[in-house]
Amino acid sequence: MMLLKMAWRNVWRNHRRSSITIVAMTLALVAELLYSGLVTGMIHSMEDDATEFDLGDLQVFHEGYLTRPSLYDVVPDAGTLIGKLEEAGYQAAPRLYAGGLGGSGDMSAGVQMVGIDPVRDARTLALSEAMAEGAWLDAADPSGVVVGRGLARTLGLDLGSELLVVSQGADGSIANALYTVRGILMSVAASMDRSSVLMTEDAFRELMVLPEGVHKVIIRRPKDVPLKQAKTQVAALAGMGATDPAEGSVAVEGQAATVETGTDGLDVMTWEEINPFLAQMLAGVSGMVAIVYFIVYLAVAILILNAMLMAVFERIKEFGVLKAIGYSPRQVMIMMILEGLIQASVALVAGLLLAAPGMWWLQNRGVDVGALGGIQMVGMTMPPIWKAHYTWSTVQVPIIMLFVITFIAVLWPALRAARISPVEAMHHQ
Amino acid sequence: MTASTTPILSMKGVTRVYRQGKVDVHALRGVDLDIHKGDFAAIWGPSGSGKSTVLNQMGALDQPTAGTVLLEGTDLGSLSRKALSAMRRDRIGFVFQSYNLIPVLTAYENAESIMALQGVPVAERRDRVMGLLEDVGLEGLEDRRPHELSGGQQQRVAIARALASNPAVILADEPTANLDSVTSEKLLDMMARLNNERGATFVFSTHDPRVMKYARRVIGLVDGRVDSDVQKEQGVEHKHQSRV
Repeated sequence: MMLLKMAWRNVWRNHRRSSITIVAMTLALVAELLYSGLVTGMIHSMEDDATEFDLGDLQVFHEGYLTRPSLYDVVPDAGTLIGKLEEAGYQAAPRLYAGGLGGSGDMSAGVQMVGIDPVRDARTLALSEAMAEGAWLDAADPSGVVVGRGLARTLGLDLGSELLVVSQGADGSIANALYTVRGILMSVAASMDRSSVLMTEDAFRELMVLPEGVHKVIIRRPKDVPLKQAKTQVAALAGMGATDPAEGSVAVEGQAATVETGTDGLDVMTWEEINPFLAQMLAGVSGMVAIVYFIVYLAVAILILNAMLMAVFERIKEFGVLKAIGYSPRQVMIMMILEGLIQASVALVAGLLLAAPGMWWLQNRGVDVGALGGIQMVGMTMPPIWKAHYTWSTVQVPIIMLFVITFIAVLWPALRAARISPVEAMHHQ
Repeated sequence: MTASTTPILSMKGVTRVYRQGKVDVHALRGVDLDIHKGDFAAIWGPSGSGKSTVLNQMGALDQPTAGTVLLEGTDLGSLSRKALSAMRRDRIGFVFQSYNLIPVLTAYENAESIMALQGVPVAERRDRVMGLLEDVGLEGLEDRRPHELSGGQQQRVAIARALASNPAVILADEPTANLDSVTSEKLLDMMARLNNERGATFVFSTHDPRVMKYARRVIGLVDGRVDSDVQKEQGVEHKHQSRV
């Protein structure tokens, strides 16, 4: 208690120097808190966008479909699988895909037709909520389609515009039909934005003469089921033999994409395996955050080190006296460390008070980056409002690092103070 | 207070050699000296005679090059740094020429701090500190920081701090050097009274004639050797050593 009292008062002996150190610590903490929230928000946003709008958490498709998509490689009896998944607490929606040519007026462009069960899809993904204009698909309106914003721009499509789609049906016939644009999507993912023509499942089957099967089953897991465990369970529900759900692990994993090979020719993959570049980038962001932490805190550490060394040099005689009257080297060292930690604690309180309004604003309002025209990274479009995301870990890492850095920076001055010889110190002028 | 015959502090053949560049400086050249309980002793001598070095050896602040220093029978040279810290805290009180109080603590807290390190309970600390401050004439000034006190008052706090741990011996390095004559007399009166009333053992280093007037034992140092050792009550110079 006596050491704490002395340390506290020593901090305020040279209040100009202590204030500068505390201000630097505070600003560093505020910067780290805001930065970590924004980066975490970006990661969450991109991960959410990837899973909610496009990929889902998991997908089941015909073996090899991902690398060589074919109209004929379908998941048979997808309805049964979806029923089992829904019983197990998962959300699942079928998807059908085919390439073709879209035209409107004098303009034409390559398109990807996506057959969708409007109701199930709206339950599974958030694409139905990402309408820039118009309305989502309706089974009662089989000629109504939803198109990507980029495609609408390319072909000059507005709500109510007619879109001609030409392709080759599953039976080899020329598939063509005229549709009406009933909705235009917001920019979500680059590929979807550029070429997607979303239509009802029935319209797709009729156009492509594909009466059965689906190309993908898009799946969302319950929030409390980890992704890896969900993959194992889905594989088991899909009747893929080489897994052991009880163990919660996948028995057969490939090298990079870890394609799960089932005995009945189906694959199940997580979104991280489907888009490994995005997953790697998101994982790499934490390394980037650590580097920024390091640089900012290194500057603060140098300042702390300098301030504490000056404090030691100014008080050499005093340390000599303390040791002469019976303070042990350890007690002198503890007092110096306490002085550093007290400054960090004051900076913590000031930093949290200063950062709190900014954190609230960034989390609830966010930064408008819409003027930048929709920044895209690894195929995903950043939302126009960049919001921060705060959890306990987002906040605790900068705080813990502040104290760790302070402790490290103060260690050398504290050791110097502890090693001072009382006889020499008391003759110091 | 009459000194007992059993020494509480003994220096036996203590030499201290400092290395300054390529030259060996012999600060002490075989000092034999006993300090007894209740002593009120002054070590005097010219500058460079080794007064402060003797006090440093007695106070476990420095290690001898040769010889032994025994405090209450414990060879200080055999102790670890941690044990030496504890020895200084518990058995030795220091009073310095320039007071050297802890500037961030009040008069009360300066005297209390050693007891806090010793783990003395708060209530007991309070009683003892208030008693000490009263003894040194600082009632009502407990809450003042060192910079709010005069030199004499600061030295009184230093004496209270030195007494706080109930030490075996109080070592005072030229305690009156920075004080005017009136304040010095008052301080010496007070220390003599504490010696008489509390039985506190004082050893001074000094070349202040006033201190030597108060001291009942005067030890003369010349060139790192004990030149004379006089017990004034008995008026007998009973030990001469290493006379050059």
